[in-house]
Order: sequence, then structure tokens, then C-alpha cells
Amino acid sequence: MANGYNFKDFKSNQNVRWCPGCGDHAILRMLQSTLADIGRPQEEVVVVSGIGCSSRLPYYMNTYGFHTIHGRAPAIASGVKTARPDLMVWQISGDGDALAIGGNHFIHAIRRNIDINIILFNNQIYGLTKGQYSPTSRKGTVSKSSPFGTVEVPFRPGELALGARGQFFARTIDTDLELSKEVFKAAADHKGTSVIEVLQNCVIYNDKTHIAITDKEHKEDRTLHLEHGKKMIFGKNRDKGLIRVGFDVKVVDLGKGGFTERDVLVHNAHEKDTSLHIDLVNMEYPEFPVAMGVIRSVQEPTYDENVQLQMDAVHQTTGIKSFDDLVHSGNTWAVD
Amino acid sequence: MEEVRLMKGNEAIAEAAIRCGCDGYFGYPITPQSEVMEWLMQEKPWDTTGMVVLQAESEVASINMLYGGGGCGKRVMTSSSSPGISLMQEGISYIAGAQIPCLIVNVMRGGPGLGTIQPSQADYAQTVKGGGHGDYKVIALAPASVQEMADFVDLAFTLAFKYRNPVMILSDGLIGQMMEKVRLPAYKKRMSNAAIKENFPWATLGKKEKEEQAIITSLHLLAEEQENHNHVLQRKYRQIEATETRCELLQTHDAEYLLIAFGSAARICQNAMHTLRDEGIKVGLLRPITLYPFPYEEIKKLIPAIKGILVAELNAGQMVEDVKLAVEGRTKVEHFGRLGGMVFSPAEVHQAFSTKLLEEHV
Repeated sequence: MANGYNFKDFKSNQNVRWCPGCGDHAILRMLQSTLADIGRPQEEVVVVSGIGCSSRLPYYMNTYGFHTIHGRAPAIASGVKTARPDLMVWQISGDGDALAIGGNHFIHAIRRNIDINIILFNNQIYGLTKGQYSPTSRKGTVSKSSPFGTVEVPFRPGELALGARGQFFARTIDTDLELSKEVFKAAADHKGTSVIEVLQNCVIYNDKTHIAITDKEHKEDRTLHLEHGKKMIFGKNRDKGLIRVGFDVKVVDLGKGGFTERDVLVHNAHEKDTSLHIDLVNMEYPEFPVAMGVIRSVQEPTYDENVQLQMDAVHQTTGIKSFDDLVHSGNTWAVD
Repeated sequence: MEEVRLMKGNEAIAEAAIRCGCDGYFGYPITPQSEVMEWLMQEKPWDTTGMVVLQAESEVASINMLYGGGGCGKRVMTSSSSPGISLMQEGISYIAGAQIPCLIVNVMRGGPGLGTIQPSQADYAQTVKGGGHGDYKVIALAPASVQEMADFVDLAFTLAFKYRNPVMILSDGLIGQMMEKVRLPAYKKRMSNAAIKENFPWATLGKKEKEEQAIITSLHLLAEEQENHNHVLQRKYRQIEATETRCELLQTHDAEYLLIAFGSAARICQNAMHTLRDEGIKVGLLRPITLYPFPYEEIKKLIPAIKGILVAELNAGQMVEDVKLAVEGRTKVEHFGRLGGMVFSPAEVHQAFSTKLLEEHV
């Protein structure tokens, strides 16, 4: 690396205790690699996690780490970032940790727009407790706690993040190393709360849950890699595109039915209006390709910046300019 | 016909719940008790008894589902392990304040914090001294076998409804995970809405025009009212203490020494007691079955003949404080414990007993 860092600089000396074949290994490696590329010294990075398989990640990072309470990591990460705004804060969560027990903290961290990067490992199952369904398990999922299939409607993490007024949402696949690095880097660059959903495979309790879109054979036809300023074209032969029809998005075959590249939507990740972004995060196979990459990245003032703006405004209008002014600002009297 | 099965403690709790006419289970996965919900989901009692089984989004949700379901006069329960039970304390305090019956099962593991998934008895104080805020009590049953895991479910519901109070089965990872022979209880019908209405006028069952409103609350803003409400609770607790204290006495008739232990620790102490007896030491075992109400009187009765007591717990010394309250300094009380998920062996108890109680008397 040009900055002198290598991914190994971000590796701790602990043995990684995830199952062989678990998607977490690749995500860990890509986070280490991204941090090496960014080149921040290890002591300026904090990784905060809750509880779950993915939440073991801080042990494996040669940075500061917190392994905390189930669901509470966004609150703890918020505490770290507000106490030490100079540190780069990453929060690691699974779908159970972030969206079930921690749903409340997850949406409020996003709403406040505190400058933290949340990596959401979504394997659609509780792995650590050995295979119960999670809030992202597809309806009908057979698990230890739903032997006849779930009857619940799952969350879509992107829709939830955008609904909580999230300004950055990206998606990647554990096995797509390049894409993971691309979105981790973008999240790190983004000021404000960044949410990255990683479609992660639990090889033991929910194997192949994302296989329909992640296997090499079909990936290009069933996913859409979004890049800001580029046309929403996908497919092995780059012959399919996304268009807007009225309020809906629709997949068309280019060169058929009179559709050409010119009709295809251009991705604008910086668009403030959320309507198209919500359509993009909600696209599911088989009706649509699943959107990958940075889906939304809109710069709004962070929590820190808003506090600073408020302080500046008060400084300008208040008559209190010093400690003496403050002491004499209320009911004071002289004692003879 | 009697049905006998080889089961894990966690499974026995779940099966007993279905059989005793439980109306609803609400839980969230946590080791070492996830089998409770898994067993229920697999048995699908909604098809047989009509019992509801729901995986909540957190333990906070589970306990509040109990608040709602219990408030309807239904037999509702949850199960969790230590960190999850800590999360429930807010709800338990409100439920106790609002006098709602329900059953909470704690399959304890080592703490504090996330701790470990290994067995522990370190939640004794949280359970019996009030883990949440305010002056309240939770009736606590401590099973020492898989059989008792099954038996205590119906008992817990009976007590919960008799006193309109939350009841906790305080077990641990050892009994939750170990397999033993269980005589399963017979099936009991779930209570009908009509029967609930007749028996529990406080329950939420829909108000008819001339009926009094049944508002479920723990709020009484005026201090005088709140004090009166507290007196009602305290009178109830005195009655529970007078009538519901349970303990098991083993070989205490001629005992000069006592081992006092609850739950899994009592099973281990039983073994140590036999070894000590073989060595000619007259030792008995007192096992509190209800931790609240605590068997102070039963301990007091034995004290005149007792030269020393060893309280053995899988914690740093919690129940020993209650034993000391019972003993009032009239005999020697020592504590032996292993911490943070470590379980002592009978030999270790024997060793501690000898060192702490016998050697000085030689």
C-alpha cells in the first residue's frame, strides 16, 4: 500500500472462531483491507459490536474494540463517537441484533445522523443461538423456532434505514470482495450514519439463503450494481435495464419492445428525494434484480455539525460572551 | 396412564406448560434455554390445546406480552437466561405493581454482563430481593431435578393466580440442559373466557354497560394512595410467607451440621452429605424450594442442635445472607461457592465442609 498499511496491520493475534465457510471471514478481511487503504492509524479506529456471531468481529481487529450488549451497539457507538468525534467508529451487527432487540437503537442512531458506519451482517437467521428465525427471515422460513415456517413479514433493512431518515445505504455480498471494499470505503467517506447491508451466508443454520442471487452462474442477471451517474443496466450480456413507468420501476430487455439504453434510468445516489431509492432498496428477486453498491449517499449535517451550528447561532445572538457574563446573567446582588 | 419420558429440563418445562393449560408462551432465543421455545414450536400446541407460542423481538417485548396476556386473566409464561431476565426487570416491577399473575423461567448462566453460557446461581439476589424498582416480591421456586422443572410449572401458575403475583422458576443451565426421567403431568384444560370472567373480575374481558371498569395499572400518583396500595401488596406478601414456604429436609433428624443449598447445588451437596455421613459425621441437608418466601423458620427450628452450617451456592455468597438472618449469630455459618459458570464437585463441597467447619473443632 502506498500509505504503508497492509490488511495484516489490522489483524489481531486472536484465532478467528467462526465456522469454516462462514461469510463473516470475508467481511472481516475486507474491513481490514479497507482500513489499510484508508490508512488511519489503528489507534484512531474503534469497532463496536452487540451480540451474535458477527459481533465477535472486534476481537479480530487490531484496533480498539467493544463487545457489548445485545441490540445496544448503536447506542454505545453513539456514546463513543460523541465522546471522541476524532475517532473513526464502525459498528458491527447482525440482523437479529440490529433489527429485533436493537431495532429501536438502530433507527434512532440513523435518525440522529451520528457519523458512525454500521455494517449489518444479514444471514436471515439467529446463528449464535443455533438457528431460530430472525426479523429478516423470509416468510415461510423453516427454523428451529418455526418448524412449520414463519408467518411473520420480514423487515427490509434498506427500507427501514431510509424510513428512519437514513442518508447512506449500501448493499454488498460477503463473497463479492471488490464490491464490499467499494461500499465500505464509500461508507467511511460519508459523513453521517452509514448503513451497509452485507448479504451473508450462515453455512450451518441457513446455508444458501442468498444463493439465488449470489451464485456465479446467475449473479449478473439477478443483481444490479448501482454506480452514481451510471445507467441502471445489468445482466451477463448487459442487455437488461431499469426504467420508470409512472410511479413504478420496471425491468426491460434492451433492444426489445422498442426499449434502448436511452430509456434506462441513471443512478443518482445523491438525490435527496427518497422515492426512487426506496424502490431500489426494496427490489427483490425474482421480480427484480437485487440492487448492490451505494444506493443512497446524501450529505446532510451530522449530529456533531448540527450541535456546532446551534452553538454558533447562540454565540452570535446571546449577550453572554464570557464566564463573568454568565455569572452575572441571572438574579445577582452585591453583598455589602 | 402415567407417562414417563427422558427429557432435558428445558423440554420438561415446555411440555408441562402445554399439559397444565398454559394459554401463551412468549420468548426470545438465548443459551442455555432456547429448547423451551423450540420444544413448544415443534409440538405446535396451537393445534391441540390452542396455546399461543410467539417468538418476540426481545426479552423486553416478551415480558410485556406477559403483562398484556396476564392482564386478560390468561396463564402466560416466558423463559430466558440471566441477561434476558435482567432486561425484563422493568416489566416484572410493573406486573408486580399491577398484580398480574404470570410465570417467568430463568435458566441461569454466569454473569455479570454477557458472562458465559455455563450454569450459575448468581441471580439469587436479583430474584428474591427485587431486581426492579419498588417494594415488591416475586415468588421464586428452585427446582433441583428435571422432574421438578415439570412439576413446578403448574404449581407456579396456581400460586401466581392465587396471589395475583408473578412467579419465577429459578433454574440454571445444569438442570435446563441435563436429561432425566420425568413423570409427565396429566393434561389439564385451558380456562374458558367465561370461567376467567367468573373467577378473575380484575381481568380484561370487555366491559358491559353496568359493569365496573377494570383498569390495570401500577400508577397511583397520590402518595397516600400509593402507600395504601403498597400496604395491600405487603399484606399479600406476609400471607405468602406464612403459607407458601417450602423446603426439603434430608437427614436433619439427628444432624449436628447442616448443608444448605438450592437447585443444582443441592443435588451436588446431597452427594457430599452421603460421603460425610459414611465418615461418621452427622450432617443433614436443607434445600429451600421456595427462595421467596425463604424458609427462615425451618432453619431456626434446627439451629439448637447444629454446630455449623455450610451454605454452598454457585455464586459469591448470596443466599448465605438469608441463612445468617435466620441463624442470628447462634451458630457458625460458612459459605462455599464457585463463580462465573464453574460448578463445584461433591469432593470440593466435602473439602470445603471439612476445612471450614471440622478442622477448627478438632
